[in-house]
Amino acid sequence: MSIEPATDGFVAIDGASFRYGTEPPIVDRVDWAIPRGAFHCLVGRSGSGKTTLLKLAAGLLAPDRGSVRIDGSALTGPGSRIGFVFQQPTLLDWLSVLDNVLLPVSLKRRPAAQDRDEARALLERVGLGAFGERHPGQLSGGQQSRVAVARALITQPDLLLLDEPFAALDALTREELQDDLLALCALHATTVLFVTHDITEAVYLADRVAIMAASRLHHDMPIDLPRPRRREMRYGQPFNALCRALRQAMDEAP
Amino acid sequence: MTARLASAFLLLVLLAAWEAWCRLGGVPALIVPAPSAVFATLWSEIATGRLWPHLRITATEMALGLALGCAVGLGIGILLAEAGFLRRLLHPYIVASQVVPKLALGPLFIVWFGFGMTPTVVITALICFFPLMENTLTGLAQVDPARRELFRMLGASRLQTLLRLKLPSALPVILAGLRVAVVLALVGAVVGEFIGGRAGLGASIIAAQSVMDSSLMFALFIVITLLGMVFYQAALLTERLLLRHHLKG
Repeated sequence: MSIEPATDGFVAIDGASFRYGTEPPIVDRVDWAIPRGAFHCLVGRSGSGKTTLLKLAAGLLAPDRGSVRIDGSALTGPGSRIGFVFQQPTLLDWLSVLDNVLLPVSLKRRPAAQDRDEARALLERVGLGAFGERHPGQLSGGQQSRVAVARALITQPDLLLLDEPFAALDALTREELQDDLLALCALHATTVLFVTHDITEAVYLADRVAIMAASRLHHDMPIDLPRPRRREMRYGQPFNALCRALRQAMDEAP
Repeated sequence: MTARLASAFLLLVLLAAWEAWCRLGGVPALIVPAPSAVFATLWSEIATGRLWPHLRITATEMALGLALGCAVGLGIGILLAEAGFLRRLLHPYIVASQVVPKLALGPLFIVWFGFGMTPTVVITALICFFPLMENTLTGLAQVDPARRELFRMLGASRLQTLLRLKLPSALPVILAGLRVAVVLALVGAVVGEFIGGRAGLGASIIAAQSVMDSSLMFALFIVITLLGMVFYQAALLTERLLLRHHLKG
């Protein structure tokens, strides 16, 4: 704890464990710190405990042992300071796209004109400015994911957690969404924890990538590619070297 | 469009065959009256205005019973879905109460509520209650777990989750229950009148039977069928209106 505050972590996970009932732990003694404004990715195979760790960070689950602290104070449950994007867009079919984006606000209070303007601006930024009055069923999968990201950002959370949000999309749409996400998060210097099983996605997005395998955090790797990230980087030598190194580290993990 | 035309044409063919059978086959009018006689009776009932009070009474009983049964069914469905203890405690009794043939309770209701509309409305409500309650229970239990988690993440209260997530998601299932209830409501109203009604379409059938007026009975069948179709179409329209956003895309 003698490290300087900048690296002490806006999000501090200390020895967190979680298990369902008497089963072996799904998250086992994980330590991790995310500095304010950093973009961290968590990669791992299905069933490695990534989603559970993310839910611990969100306050949706409470650790059996250890602690999760956000900005120095212990996390007691979900709050408006944390945005969450699920694997599926989970939009409400009966609300318009604009009302879906406004949902986090409208559950707290009656949305004001200013909130509506903000939601429209967010939709504009994810390329859906003209779709506010449509309904989710009329959108493509990629557009629905964009709405889900906009919804998570409407309350301007300090921390954004994403659980394989683009896994179901085609490669081109996924790349577009990755660029949109980076731009949106850079806007308010949002701290991000992004869970994925896609190695290139992790390398493209992150400042730092951690590997999770068999309930434990195994390896973490800084990604020192320049920002802003650009599409051409994906084909460059440094990018591919990082992907290869990450892949190797994943293979070495049990 | 051609299917509808064909369907209408089939009706004409069937009516013509029926008419021919009655005239050429010498079928006694008491057993099966010819369509021409039925329509003549129907027309005279309409023209003399004798039909309207009965139609109004049956439609009122049906609407009141439906509204009462659906409101109680929806309310109890929500209550049982939200309170697991109450569900385990009461559900067996509610199922048992539905297995009892409700029309058999008619004579008892006459003792309790007297003759007239009240016993029929109560029987109709009892019949409509069940599909609404069952479908509400099923619908509320089927809410997508990811969406529930979303509401939990957003810090929604229990009431907010019920009103803004569970009920809207369950609406298609609840309205399917309403459609079933509408059809059952007509049965409840007409048969309820058989038992204790003094006026209404069901009571009129009993009256027509006592004077052996078969063509009046057939005319009343037609009116009852049309009444049922109007209510069913109204339910469909309500459904389409309420689910207009659910169904987009």
